[in-house]
Amino acid sequence: MDTHSRMAGLAAAVGLLLVLALGCSSKAIQTASDSSTEPGVSKEPRVSEQDLLGKSPSAPGQGRQSKDIAVAKVEPSDAARRHAEDIRRERVATAIAGIEDVFFGFDSWNISDEGKHALEVDAQWLKSNPEKMVTIEGHCDERGTQAYNLVLGEKRAKAVRNYLTELGVGTGGLTVTSYGKERPFCEGHDETCYQQNRRGHMTLRVR
Amino acid sequence: MRQNSIVPVIAYLVLGAGFVGIMESGAADVFLEATRPDFQKIPVGVLEFQSVMAPANAAERVAEVLKADLRRSQIFSVADLVKLGIKVDEKLELLDGAQLPLFKQAADNGVAALVWGKMATRDANLVLDGYVYDGGTAELLIGKRYVGAPSTLRVMAHRLADELVSRYTGEPGIARTKIAYASDQRGGREVFVMDYDGYAPRQVTADGFLNLTPEWSRDRRSLVFTAYRNRRNQTIDLIELATGKRRTLVALAGLNITPSLSPDGRYLAFATSQDGNSEIYTLDTRTNELQRLTFQAAGDLSPFWSPSGRELVFTSDRGGGPQIYLMNADGSNVRRLTFEGDYNAAPAWSPRGDWIAFVCRSQEGQFKLCLITPDGQKRLQITTGPGIDDSPSWSPDGRHLVFSSMVNGQSHIFMINRDGTEQERLTSGGTHHSSPSWSPA
Repeated sequence: MDTHSRMAGLAAAVGLLLVLALGCSSKAIQTASDSSTEPGVSKEPRVSEQDLLGKSPSAPGQGRQSKDIAVAKVEPSDAARRHAEDIRRERVATAIAGIEDVFFGFDSWNISDEGKHALEVDAQWLKSNPEKMVTIEGHCDERGTQAYNLVLGEKRAKAVRNYLTELGVGTGGLTVTSYGKERPFCEGHDETCYQQNRRGHMTLRVR
Repeated sequence: MRQNSIVPVIAYLVLGAGFVGIMESGAADVFLEATRPDFQKIPVGVLEFQSVMAPANAAERVAEVLKADLRRSQIFSVADLVKLGIKVDEKLELLDGAQLPLFKQAADNGVAALVWGKMATRDANLVLDGYVYDGGTAELLIGKRYVGAPSTLRVMAHRLADELVSRYTGEPGIARTKIAYASDQRGGREVFVMDYDGYAPRQVTADGFLNLTPEWSRDRRSLVFTAYRNRRNQTIDLIELATGKRRTLVALAGLNITPSLSPDGRYLAFATSQDGNSEIYTLDTRTNELQRLTFQAAGDLSPFWSPSGRELVFTSDRGGGPQIYLMNADGSNVRRLTFEGDYNAAPAWSPRGDWIAFVCRSQEGQFKLCLITPDGQKRLQITTGPGIDDSPSWSPDGRHLVFSSMVNGQSHIFMINRDGTEQERLTSGGTHHSSPSWSPA
């Protein structure tokens, strides 16, 4: 075994020298300068390239080098602050109205009896305030993949919407969305927190 | 007798590495690496780079970046020349025949190629001259001059590394590829792009709310991603990186997620819930024509194209929990690929076609990375430990993966070799970096 692998190593080295001797010697890759700029491109500094051997091309790999990827700079915005302010105001309005959230079991979108009670309260309020718009956000705990949790969160939000309509709430004022595991309510990493994060979160739209 | 027969085989394999590169097998979506399985790394020695009035440490830094690139390439091993006692006179103008003893010394230590460079300053720019010599014959194989602003030092090193890779394998290197990802910034989650080694992060969006799962266009000019520009509109957008120009591709009623562009760039596969539950569609970006591919009461999501564009791999919970399925690009010929474990999701097809990476739940209940062959014959788990792993994405050479891993609520991006070795954290600072996607080469 040892002899074989040593032989293999030696053979590989010999093979390499052959590659270099036959294939690569005295040939140079000649690449045109890569510093060309497209119109309207960001001012990311470019690197220019020159072949110092200046011989004929056609070595293996010739032309396989692609251009650098240019990425424009983005201006920072205060959009996050505005979103946070909207969310805060909606949270206050939702609390004042007494609208409650619904919680779910692991990987489940079934509404528990407790959840049904909460939604009955919510339905009462929504039926007496038919002009109000509510967004139902589906949320998940941190386990599993981002993408699958987006779908799971939407199933939860839709289960909530379906139960509300069963209770006679008009669908016109209800919007569903899902944030999967991306915007947790509780930042811990145990079941106490997880059960807080598996929820159908009701937000009363302000304006 | 036995030993004699080995030599030509190995020589063929190694020669194949130089001339053939990748061979395509006609039938399926699998590309065979001519260099496997006996490929031995090529030992390269990087000599101390010379500084000619260059800024402090510039010569050392460029050599360090180059060495890291060569190691990461998996094509080369970097010999420690200092330990071997191999060094050049620091006043040397050019390595030439006069240094033959030095090359002989290197060759005797198994070094197949020697890299030497000079870093100088011209006007406000750095000038890097990089040379690659055959370790045995001392022949000059590569000589390149790179000129750029001081901020491009790493790019220069990456270029020289890619030059070596393409010279020795016939394939493009990955040192100048980039990784797109989502990162928490100023209260919002924005799309970012960083170098493949985690350096030079650049913010691409500034929406202030939530953006997810950026994916590259084949020409590397654009990203498609899931955009929650605000809490009312959830779309799939395309952004042109060089200009920041942005347009919405998909704004169907419901959730529009997990975009993936076909290898020819024409079709966008994605999942939308406009039909009530998540279904997979393709959008012909030339005609704006939509085609629905899945018809299930369950969730279908995360479509990802095979390298040929003929098939899609995706996640579906039609069998109960999430599992990986395959189908033709027109939605026909659906078959289930994963049967082991109760949670398999987020598939990504290797650019070589030979493996599909995905998130699996381990026997310990952890979310880890697994690989499976498209015929389902071979399956293996390549990460371990407590982190919640997600969003595997392949390097264009198929030798590495990037993924996110969350421990105690902190999510970072890691690079790992296909065989699960040499895990390397790419992001530093911040608390949430996720959904990485590796650019084409």
